[in-house]
Amino acid sequence: MDAIEVRELTKDFGNTRALRGASFTVGEHEIFGLIGPNGAGKTTTLRILSTLISASGGEARVFGFDVTRQPEKVREILSYLPEDAGAYQMLTGEEFLEFMAGFYSRDKAGTERIVEEGRKISGLGERLNDRVNGYSKGMKRRLLIARALMMKPRLAILDEPTSGLDVVQSVHVRNMIREYAKNQGVTVLLSSHNMLEVEYLCGRVALISGGVVMAEGTPEGLKERYGAKNLEDVFMEVARVE
Amino acid sequence: MNSLWALIVKEVKELVRDPKILVGVVLMPIIIFPIMGAAIQVSQESVERAIRGASFAVYTDDEGFVTDALLSYLYTNNTVVPIDADSLEDALVAFKATDSSALIYVPNGYHTNITQGLNGVLRIYANLRNLNMAETQSTNVVSSLISVYNYYFSISRIRGLLEQTGSVGTPEAVRNPIVIEYSSILKGNVLDIPPSAIFNLVMGQSIMLPIMVMMMVIFAIQMAATSIALEKEQKTLETLMTLPVSRFTILAGKLSGSVVIALAGSVSYLVGFGFYINSAFSFVPGATTMNIDDVGIGITPLGMVLVGVVIFVTLISALAMALSVAVFADNVRSAQSFTGALVTPIMIPAIVLMFSDIEMLPQSFQWLMLAIPYTHTIIATKAAFLANYAVVIRSILFIGVWTLVVLYVAARIFSTERIITARFTFGDLGKRLRRRQPHSH
Repeated sequence: MDAIEVRELTKDFGNTRALRGASFTVGEHEIFGLIGPNGAGKTTTLRILSTLISASGGEARVFGFDVTRQPEKVREILSYLPEDAGAYQMLTGEEFLEFMAGFYSRDKAGTERIVEEGRKISGLGERLNDRVNGYSKGMKRRLLIARALMMKPRLAILDEPTSGLDVVQSVHVRNMIREYAKNQGVTVLLSSHNMLEVEYLCGRVALISGGVVMAEGTPEGLKERYGAKNLEDVFMEVARVE
Repeated sequence: MNSLWALIVKEVKELVRDPKILVGVVLMPIIIFPIMGAAIQVSQESVERAIRGASFAVYTDDEGFVTDALLSYLYTNNTVVPIDADSLEDALVAFKATDSSALIYVPNGYHTNITQGLNGVLRIYANLRNLNMAETQSTNVVSSLISVYNYYFSISRIRGLLEQTGSVGTPEAVRNPIVIEYSSILKGNVLDIPPSAIFNLVMGQSIMLPIMVMMMVIFAIQMAATSIALEKEQKTLETLMTLPVSRFTILAGKLSGSVVIALAGSVSYLVGFGFYINSAFSFVPGATTMNIDDVGIGITPLGMVLVGVVIFVTLISALAMALSVAVFADNVRSAQSFTGALVTPIMIPAIVLMFSDIEMLPQSFQWLMLAIPYTHTIIATKAAFLANYAVVIRSILFIGVWTLVVLYVAARIFSTERIITARFTFGDLGKRLRRRQPHSH
């Protein structure tokens, strides 16, 4: 079964059409990258898949569950990290992880296991006992990445996972994403403006522009198809064609 | 249930750890009210001291045993500043030079008039230097002293006349042939208490409770609006909405969290206000001698339960309304300005009904007031005191229906993408108005 199936997805915001029939599929345990210029429809696609907003037309399924008709089922197996997400400022990092873990576990021991996983991913150590309002941007993002991966969801949707992080922190986060996809069976759908990151992480990529998927394939395959040296050139080529 | 509890705990932690909320809602009332009370007490005590310390001056232009009796009464137990002068004019000059605020002038002829059965006239001069309370009070003290003297003087004169004429009766009865005694029939019981006393008591109690309820509702509205706006401001709403928990549970968590803080705020308000009343009015003797239970109009257990239900439905509807409105705000500040608009329909009935009953209002205004659901909260809490349970239940039904409507709207907003996409700023309103303007020209 495909982890994600998106068919002819459309979305209108008033008179603005954000998606014009986007289609792509993501296989189980895959790390799939969604790339495209600003306003291409990446975040709208991710929000529809995360059950936050509903599609105007077309179909989207997550592990066979229809995101519009069975949002509760989808929410049980998915974890979504919005691009500009924040954490509760007045809670400590630890309390934040505990609060979030509670929704994915039936007992205390289960919650503690999830939180322990979160501590490991965040790498924040003692700072987890401090309130979030004292965290730097990078620390906050690491906490949020930990939140998104710690319960080992079947699908993690990560919108710009390394936005605002320095090189060291970005590498830490990328390694975590790879580790969870490879060893914990998490399927990852991510969007990024960082082509280097996409090339490093993603098994397959979809280039989205103007609300439609312009090209889909492995980074290697795409480079070959467009005679480009790297994904950035592919991106430029696709954007030019459009 | 587990998820709901986690959400409530999170809400309470987030709100109570915010210094603005902790200080503004929970701590402020408990600090400010006692300070206000203490300030009023200090000023009252200084007035009292001023009155007690204020001596009055006496200038006599008359002679005779009646005048002597008056003077000896005035000089006993009081601090009198005797004024020795040749004329009233000189006496007034001397009086102005003293610290006294009042001068009792016994004019020539006082003794003669009284001995001839006519009115003896005294004149009191009040020296208003600073126009403060103590000055008028000291005039009142002098008047009261003379009134007491006047009463006993008249009684002793009547007694003398009765003895001379050999008539029956007591001097008090001759002085006041008719005495009125009051009884009040309340809930079928005859009580030997003037109706005005009962009315004051009921008013005091039945006003305080609705005011408290309204204060709590206003706190809760602010909390609920803040909590949803905080989610937006901190960018946590999207994450929250993708958690495996029903949207209704999220809504219930927000409502309950806000209620907890509102309750804490109200208790703090109540305690603070209690201190205020105790310290500010401690100088009023006998202000708290009559208890509402003494006259048998204390609220019954049934009334208490009904008041609880009224408060509950009122709170829930106000909170659901606040959450629905706050969804359209981007940040805490704009959420609070939105809720300002919500607070108005809650304040209006509270203020209007504080001073009057709904039946006293003009007909059209009555309908307008009755259309506001929160008018029924006040009516119901007042009616519960008077055991008019039919009125209370009617009000509960009315607010209950309103609560269901608002809850439905809030649940709809929470279950659709509107919770994420809804946005309204005063800038938008401006744009819309500007867009319309060309058509109107």
